[in-house]
Amino acid sequence: MTTTLDRIRITSGSGGPRRERDTDPGAAQRGRAEGLTYPGRMATTRGSTDDLGGSAPGPADRAQVLAALREHLPEQAVLTDHDLVQGYRTDRAMFCPAGMPLAVVLARETAHVQHALRVASRFGLPVVPQGARSGLSGAANAIEGGLVVSTEKMTEVLELDVANRFVVTQPGVLNAELSRHVEAAGLFYPPDPSSWEFCSIGGNLGTNSGGLCCVKYGVTADYVLGLEVVLASGEVLRTGRRTVKGVAGYDLTRLFVGSEGTLGIITEATLALRPAARRPRTAAALFASGRAAAEAVAAVVAGGHQPSLLEIMDSTTLRAASDYLRADLPADAAAMLLWQCDTGEGAEAEVRAIGAVVQGCGGEVVEAADQAEADLLLAARRCVLLALERLGTTLIDDVCVPRSRLGELIDGVARIAAERSLVIGVVGHAGDGNMHPTVVFDSRDAEQTAAALASFDDVMALGLELGGTITGEHGVGVLKREWLAREVGPVGLRVHRDLKRALDPAGILNPGKVFSLAD
Amino acid sequence: MSTVERTHTLTDAVLAELAGIVGPANLLVSDGDVEPYARDATPLFRARPDAVVLPTDTAQVSAVLALATRAGFPVIPRGGGSNLAAMTVAERGGVVMVLTRMNQIREISSDELLAVVQPGVTTAELADAAAAKGLLYAPDPGSRTVSTVAGNVATCAGGLRGLKYGVTRNYVLGLEAVLPTGEVIRTGSRLWKDVAGYDLTRLLTGSEGTLAVITEVTVALLPMPATVGTGVAYFDSLADAGTAVARIIGLGVLPATLEFLDNRCINAVEDSNHLGLDRTAGALLLFGDDGPDTHVATSLDRMAATCDVVGARAVTRARDVVESDALMAARRCSLPALARLAPITMLEDVTVPRPLLARMVDTIDTIAAQHHVVCATFGHAGDGNLHPTIVFDPHDGDARHRAEAAFDKVFHAAMDLGGTITGEHGIGAAKRPWMAARLGEDQLALLRRVKSAFDPAGILNPGKLGS
Ligand SMILES: Cc1cc2nc3c(=O)[nH]c(=O)nc-3n(C[C@H](O)[C@H](O)[C@H](O)COP(=O)(O)OP(=O)(O)OC[C@H]3O[C@@H](n4cnc5c(N)ncnc54)[C@H](O)[C@@H]3O)c2cc1C
Ligand SMILES: Cc1cc2nc3c(=O)[nH]c(=O)nc-3n(C[C@H](O)[C@H](O)[C@H](O)COP(=O)(O)OP(=O)(O)OC[C@H]3O[C@@H](n4cnc5c(N)ncnc54)[C@H](O)[C@@H]3O)c2cc1C
Repeated sequence: MTTTLDRIRITSGSGGPRRERDTDPGAAQRGRAEGLTYPGRMATTRGSTDDLGGSAPGPADRAQVLAALREHLPEQAVLTDHDLVQGYRTDRAMFCPAGMPLAVVLARETAHVQHALRVASRFGLPVVPQGARSGLSGAANAIEGGLVVSTEKMTEVLELDVANRFVVTQPGVLNAELSRHVEAAGLFYPPDPSSWEFCSIGGNLGTNSGGLCCVKYGVTADYVLGLEVVLASGEVLRTGRRTVKGVAGYDLTRLFVGSEGTLGIITEATLALRPAARRPRTAAALFASGRAAAEAVAAVVAGGHQPSLLEIMDSTTLRAASDYLRADLPADAAAMLLWQCDTGEGAEAEVRAIGAVVQGCGGEVVEAADQAEADLLLAARRCVLLALERLGTTLIDDVCVPRSRLGELIDGVARIAAERSLVIGVVGHAGDGNMHPTVVFDSRDAEQTAAALASFDDVMALGLELGGTITGEHGVGVLKREWLAREVGPVGLRVHRDLKRALDPAGILNPGKVFSLAD
Repeated sequence: MSTVERTHTLTDAVLAELAGIVGPANLLVSDGDVEPYARDATPLFRARPDAVVLPTDTAQVSAVLALATRAGFPVIPRGGGSNLAAMTVAERGGVVMVLTRMNQIREISSDELLAVVQPGVTTAELADAAAAKGLLYAPDPGSRTVSTVAGNVATCAGGLRGLKYGVTRNYVLGLEAVLPTGEVIRTGSRLWKDVAGYDLTRLLTGSEGTLAVITEVTVALLPMPATVGTGVAYFDSLADAGTAVARIIGLGVLPATLEFLDNRCINAVEDSNHLGLDRTAGALLLFGDDGPDTHVATSLDRMAATCDVVGARAVTRARDVVESDALMAARRCSLPALARLAPITMLEDVTVPRPLLARMVDTIDTIAAQHHVVCATFGHAGDGNLHPTIVFDPHDGDARHRAEAAFDKVFHAAMDLGGTITGEHGIGAAKRPWMAARLGEDQLALLRRVKSAFDPAGILNPGKLGS
């Protein structure tokens, strides 16, 4: 897996996976007006970022802010060096504005986060909480003249309670590190985003990450027992519990999960674990059309089967992954379904039973001959985004639809790609109905770029039309702000704003992300 | 008992407006009609609401709430009234809004593994309708035949299958709810995954009717497990049963059922139901699992063997579903059996970290002895959730006072062990006094801020959940 990490570093350079962008001075202008400016040159941006929740940084004296920060923070915890700060400006989303922060606070402990928030409150500075910046929605992008508070250096697993099956961890621990840590004790932390080697638990909580296991095991929120959160005021709040059950008071724990850093900064999490899963059995099936594969998924779900993984790849993504891994994947099929069952003794029978259903829908079933083959199939699935990134600029969508309507989504995406003359690879967590249609294009070509952006919108509109959501797991950030407003409607939006104000009255926490604070 | 000042009475004009909205047949005002809604399943709490409305659609709910916000009277949403924390008692007067006339099952989808129901459908009705299509609605509170799905959502109800299947929260996909202003919102969706915006669905789940009135619920269903198996083990002491539970969980088994009864409970059940239980045992442990045949067989083998190793006096296994049901009956009828012992039954609900279960029961017994109260304990051993139950006669001097004092000690003992004052029954008015101790003033302040973000006029179930 380290090779994967290396590859990311190679393709992305030092400041995140940024690529060439075209100029649109108007966009940069709009961004600057709200304290968001655009890194480099870019064609256009997502959404008009026309407000910062009324908390645009005042002309606070830079030196004064820095002095106040350093009063209670160690020297190395406050970054101001231009080149260093540059590395903390953006997450991995394309087309999202980002500003140059006044400073980056690399918190090592809760008290550091508290101090940073107190200083920010005093000076009215916007604060962007940040994890490992692997996000795909611009939610972790810095705001011009504000602070970035990164929890990436809070990397300790504090406690592992095997009898009660929970782990207490700091937010900077990477998802894969935590998984390995608990695995060593015979336990299992299911949430496993494809980015697991380079995303942090703090970010997983911030976005309510999913992954490959959700079809059976649910998402991050299902595993959060309690949190320590620093509120905008700098106060520390402990939510939740360590016991399996508990219903005292509103479920603030789950309100913070998925709030994309707009309500508080998570400094510690208590996460539920499961007994180690049994070694899964793996199988795949090839289809002559994406539609047939989608129908097979619906049939598997309706048939009452519970695979622990059920993923789909189309020919574009199969080919890309095959090249990327230098493997010989069956790239001539229109689509491949990949599934696993981890029920121990029953797994083999269950894998076969699903195979029978899939075959009935026209799939050509291949069971993994050995562990190496199973691993390869999984690796192919996990590397798709990185593989596509080598082919051009990528714009990854994240719609989720009822599983019975997956076929319509796949057909619809093909139609959109044809209409706009684009390559849109389709890959996704088919068992959840959560798909990542990914446009691959040449960002130096203005026309193609415009078409890519338009297709991105088309896909979201299609998702909503099919009774779905604009984001199943990546979150809203800045990328999909306008679309959130559309999905939740005016009353829903007002409730969001009221809640935001209740928890962060001055609007300093990640303002302008997810939704705009102004009507 | 309510000590809150009654602050509201409705004017004739308001009553007339209410009648206009829901129709005279769905408005109750006379003493006799209103009396059943003055209490819920919580002993000792009673307050007469000024009126009861039984809306039949979302538009009526909306109009009543808009009126309440305008005229400033409390509205207390109510489902089956089976809660045990005085959540639906109209302490400050106002209108109890009963949702049981909105009781249609709108959809059971085997394609999407979900159900869409109106708020007043009972848990059992939903589960039966799902079962008819070969699907499982997992949350199964003991009150399932009377409790409503929206009531389950508003209390985040648990049940006997919680260890393996989780609680109501894990199954709610989306809601339609009416805000105190009368505006209708939809939260969540029909989807397995959805992270668009704040998780309002989860925020409303467990909010005890203080944030919005739920008018439609979309829940996830599961494929019906092929078989269910149950076994029973008797132990000399609860500590031994606790050890068995810890070992079973340590094996990596996640059984569907792990329930326990203490000696008093065994005897109460035996007195009333004559199931042939071992009256001399210190504890009875029910264990069970569901799933494919082979899985259930191995799972039960391993649990039975573990009980043996730990020194169970006897371990028996049900041979079929009928026998299985009979064994589960021992657990399900615990509360009714205890209720026969004395006029008043106070059922409590604390949760402690699983390995501390036996210690907590010992502590409860000590506290009960110190306060001279009769207390029996049963509960969900798998998730550390205990239901100590005190029975007493209110005419027996200061019995009630002793019971309350004992529970106060029990709550603090649970919190001292790192537990919580309610695993599944909620806060309501009954647990209000302990809320600050559990959550701290800061969190309480935050809860109030959330409450006023939803309900600035403070009309929805005021005073409950610390609001
Ligand atoms: C190749 C690739 C594959 C991916 N696959 C998946 C996938 O399968 N499933 C999936 O769900 N996502 C996936 N993602 C998206 C991304 O990895 C996740 O959203 C991840 O959870 C982000 O974690 P992070 O630590 O990088 O957070 P960041 O990107 O740094 O931040 C994400 C959000 O969380 C907030 N945040 C971060 N830390 C904290 C904190 N301590 N307290 C409060 N808020 C905080 C930020 O403000 C921001 O809003 C993928 C990304 C890539 C590049
Ligand atoms: C014998 C017995 C056994 C029990 N066993 C269990 C058990 O195993 N597990 C468990 O968790 N609980 C159990 N309970 C407690 C109780 O049954 C649950 O709390 C149940 O969820 C309440 O549902 P209800 O419809 O009766 O709600 P009610 O008691 O009517 O109301 C409960 C709360 O929900 C709110 N509410 C109701 N409907 C709505 C709505 N439409 N919109 C908004 N808010 C609403 C009310 O305002 C109130 O705050 C038991 C109770 C009894 C009497």
